[in-house]
Amino acid sequence: MTVKQKIDARGAFCPGPLMELIAALKLVEVGDEVEVWSSDKGSVSDIPQWVSKVRHEMVGVTPHEGYWSLVVRRAK
Amino acid sequence: MAANPLFIMLCSGEHEKLQMAAMLASVGAVSERPVEVFVSMNAILAFAKDASPEARYQGGAFSKLLKDKHAPDAIALFRQGKELGDLKLWACSMALDIKGWELNELADGLFDGALGLTKFLSDAESGQFITL
Repeated sequence: MTVKQKIDARGAFCPGPLMELIAALKLVEVGDEVEVWSSDKGSVSDIPQWVSKVRHEMVGVTPHEGYWSLVVRRAK
Repeated sequence: MAANPLFIMLCSGEHEKLQMAAMLASVGAVSERPVEVFVSMNAILAFAKDASPEARYQGGAFSKLLKDKHAPDAIALFRQGKELGDLKLWACSMALDIKGWELNELADGLFDGALGLTKFLSDAESGQFITL
């Protein structure tokens, strides 16, 4: 499965990266992945928590220099 | 199990509290939790249609930081919450009457209507209540 959409939300503050991710997930098909780049520290816990709560799938969280890459698969 | 609805009573016109209300409301709504916000007192003034950010967002030291760092705009966050989740905003009918405003004098596309306090309180019995 490949990432269908990438969002560069670096520089955006909470809850900006999460809201951008949610908007993107609404536009892709079930099974597609969305990758968001965030420099907001809270995203590292907030996005996986949201994904779990609304029953999507967390594919991975990868730290980079000054930001994180979070990949989410739309599950429903 | 159905999500526990969140009811927010927003009375303060301080930017910091508006921002927190917008964050709570939008994140709650996109997390499959119904959210209703009742806007009254000084808070209603921040929702004036076509107000500039400077006029809309009055606050203290943290308000300045929010502006300087370009934190998400509170009105835009409320709009996102409505677009992406189950979020309703109600304008306090008393506050509108006192101010002499109609609903169309508030920011476009945000409010679901005017509501009395008694109705909001009654509805809020079914959920969690937060005052800001």
